[in-house]
Amino acid sequence: MFRAHMSVTRIWQLIEKRMMSCISVHGKLPGLQRAVGEVRRKSSFRQSPLLTATPVRALIDEQISIKGRFLSQNYPVTVCAQMHSEEGDLWEAFAHYTTNASGSINLTSDHSVGGSYVGCEPMGLFWALEPALGSREGLRLRKRNVETPYMVNISLLEGHTSPSEGQRTELAAVTTERWYMAPGVRRIEIRQNNIVGTLFLPPGPGPFPAMLDLWGMVGGLLEYRSALFASRGFASLSVAYMGHKDLPGPQHIMSVGDSYFKSAFQLLQDHCQVDADRIGVIGLSYGVVPTLRIATTIGFKPSCLICINGAVGSPLLDEDGKSKMFESDQKHWEFDDRGYVSFRNVSLPDNLPPESKRKVENITCPLMYIVGEDDLCTASTENADVIEEALRSAGKSHQFTRLSYPGAGHLIEPPYTPCSRASLWKTKPEKLFTLWGGHPAPHAAAQEDAWKRILEFMETHLRR
Amino acid sequence: MDRKQCCVKLSVQPSRGLMDEKFIVLVQNALPGSQLTIRALHQCEDGHSWEAFGHYTADTTGTINVSEDPSIRGTYSGVEQMGLLWSLRPIPGSKPGLRMRKKNIQTPMEVTISVYQGHQTEGFADLVPLSGVVVERWYMAPGVRRIPVTEGGLTATLFLPSGPGPFPGLLDLWGGGGQLVEYRAALLASHGFASMAIDYLTSKFTMETGKMVDNQYFETAYRVLQQHPQVCGSKIAMIGLSFGTSMTLKMAIYSEVIKLSAAVCISGSHVQPVEGSVEEIMGFFQKNAGKTRFNEKNEAIWRDLLLPIPTDPSLKADVGRLQCPLLLVVGEDDQNWPAQESALDIKEMMARAGNSHLLTVLSYPNAGHLIEPPYTPHARSSTFKTVEIQEKVMCLWGGQTVEHSRAQEDAWKKILVFLRENLYGGRNPTSFSHL
Repeated sequence: MFRAHMSVTRIWQLIEKRMMSCISVHGKLPGLQRAVGEVRRKSSFRQSPLLTATPVRALIDEQISIKGRFLSQNYPVTVCAQMHSEEGDLWEAFAHYTTNASGSINLTSDHSVGGSYVGCEPMGLFWALEPALGSREGLRLRKRNVETPYMVNISLLEGHTSPSEGQRTELAAVTTERWYMAPGVRRIEIRQNNIVGTLFLPPGPGPFPAMLDLWGMVGGLLEYRSALFASRGFASLSVAYMGHKDLPGPQHIMSVGDSYFKSAFQLLQDHCQVDADRIGVIGLSYGVVPTLRIATTIGFKPSCLICINGAVGSPLLDEDGKSKMFESDQKHWEFDDRGYVSFRNVSLPDNLPPESKRKVENITCPLMYIVGEDDLCTASTENADVIEEALRSAGKSHQFTRLSYPGAGHLIEPPYTPCSRASLWKTKPEKLFTLWGGHPAPHAAAQEDAWKRILEFMETHLRR
Repeated sequence: MDRKQCCVKLSVQPSRGLMDEKFIVLVQNALPGSQLTIRALHQCEDGHSWEAFGHYTADTTGTINVSEDPSIRGTYSGVEQMGLLWSLRPIPGSKPGLRMRKKNIQTPMEVTISVYQGHQTEGFADLVPLSGVVVERWYMAPGVRRIPVTEGGLTATLFLPSGPGPFPGLLDLWGGGGQLVEYRAALLASHGFASMAIDYLTSKFTMETGKMVDNQYFETAYRVLQQHPQVCGSKIAMIGLSFGTSMTLKMAIYSEVIKLSAAVCISGSHVQPVEGSVEEIMGFFQKNAGKTRFNEKNEAIWRDLLLPIPTDPSLKADVGRLQCPLLLVVGEDDQNWPAQESALDIKEMMARAGNSHLLTVLSYPNAGHLIEPPYTPHARSSTFKTVEIQEKVMCLWGGQTVEHSRAQEDAWKKILVFLRENLYGGRNPTSFSHL
């Protein structure tokens, strides 16, 4: 009946505190005072508050409304979110609130006065998640298995406290599920035509508008953005182009070139459930390079392009678009006082070989360029300027949309997920951490707004 | 035609909801003014298919919002946000007398919602929709724990909400069909109540010995719940439907052991031999079986078995002695139990005894007997087998679908408020009365 770490005295104090606030709310009946004395001796008496989350199973980009009720009035409480990543690391966020005169809190309208975020932030508990104290350095939260949800436990603690403090009383808790895949979305592994990728199809008969989904040089195959696109009615193919065991060549260089990306685009065009005239391309970071290469290659007509924090060219590519090793040329690397590296200057337009820069003016479709102004990995602002100017000179300004977010970093990803300001880049020959940039609150705002704008852009150019 | 096919967008938010959560069904990017049919299809656990549909016209922006726009005709009409679920009915050609009840509550109910060109009324299986989505509807929230209970000879399942607790407790009873029906308890646990669904008619004990359980069985259930470390022992309520109401009132009034903070009685009656065991109460109803009527469809009407409401006090649970708040839910078209007549008599008895401040009655015109959690189909009649009568009978429950569905939605909302106020909420002097 009693929690092991609480003394009996403490429990009576808690009960008394709650009883007293109850009585002040419900009137001063002398009979009640006597009854209080009676009831305090009944060990099973306790007023439990109620914590709710709606919806309790949500897609990653859906807002969850968290409320607490039946608490004492004007009472300090802490709301805490905890979850385990697939690698087993504990991520946490917390915020300090005060209940109102009815003993309630509502994270959709109330203001946090301290913790992982401040102010009115309905989804703050999700985007402000950080690795718990004592975790390994340089962690980044990325879901590999999109067929299962993140289980996030939301709890209500007494007083203004933090997860790392020892003595905390948990008043209530609720478990939420956050999904990258809506029900009915189909996940199909693609290992054909030398393509290594995963295709996500929405439920329904199709044919669907589609996206080719390209990530950065960290490599591997990241599926979660495509899974979300399919959950929003777009077929989406995410392809790996380096750092994957099923790709030819050593994993630390890019052994595939232009023909690889063209095959991927072609695969979408040929798919019976994809509308071949409604295919767009999205690239983040290095993914922008093949995005622009596809768009400026004869024979391929994407319906729209979305470029996030990427460059118009690259010092790494040979004529076929295959890369030389990224780390062979470190002259533009900059290190901070912790030894973390920023790659930003590598992609300054003046540092890019002129022959690698694509003729952006040849692009015939709408292009949205998203800039995180605190991007420490890519010179996004400068590259956006180049693209904007090239299109303007060609009389194509109407095709160009720029979204620019102060305080946002490199990794502008689907919303309500944490910002990594830096993370582990490689471990051999020794550990190296890279800087992405971005500060949690503005980065979260950027992700939320950018995602909405990305989906609208896709609806406009792929569905109408 | 082909060109337009990928343009119509259908979305349902949230795509994963609890059974009692509303969703928003939105069609976008259709041709303005075009006629469209939105249809729901569900295959239930026993393999039967259920469908519902509404006919809509896209507005000038090519949008249809089911929560704002009217269905012109279909299995529901008018502005009905949840019509696609509550108006579900077996597809043409199905066998008669079906009732949708989920047995496995650890998996969701999956519904495919699609939009079709034109105003279609049949032959959906042969049509290709413009767009479709899949929606999951859950009885159990994540983190809710399902715990089978066999302690003390019980056949029961306890559902615990997520969190440290302690939680207020709830005993959940269904009616004369017996079985261990879990879905309402699972849903109540998803709302923060430690809920125990109890099989008191076809328990393991009864199946093995052929004997009905005695009153101690319910007291054992109460004790097991009360003593659970995550249950707040002084905050336990009971909810009963149909015959479950008889048991709830019996325990609430007469048990020395069971002290309820609140009671919810749905579609039931206080008429029962006051000193009777479960077996004797059932026997009392059986004695009156001759009063069964049949309508023109040969559906059995059992509401007369307890009528007229007796004046003999030994034949009515003495509601004047109730010490906890009581919520009565009544369908005025209940053809199975005389719930409305009983409610009136209960009201009179409590007024005479001076405890009518404890009573709240929710009475719904044209609602039938089976007032269940919302947004599931209404069965005006279905095949039914009580534990007494071994053959299946086509039983008339009553109710008109639209009003019955509204009643379910309204009653459920008010049941939750009632339970929260009495189990989570502030103190009122009567809750101390048993100290």
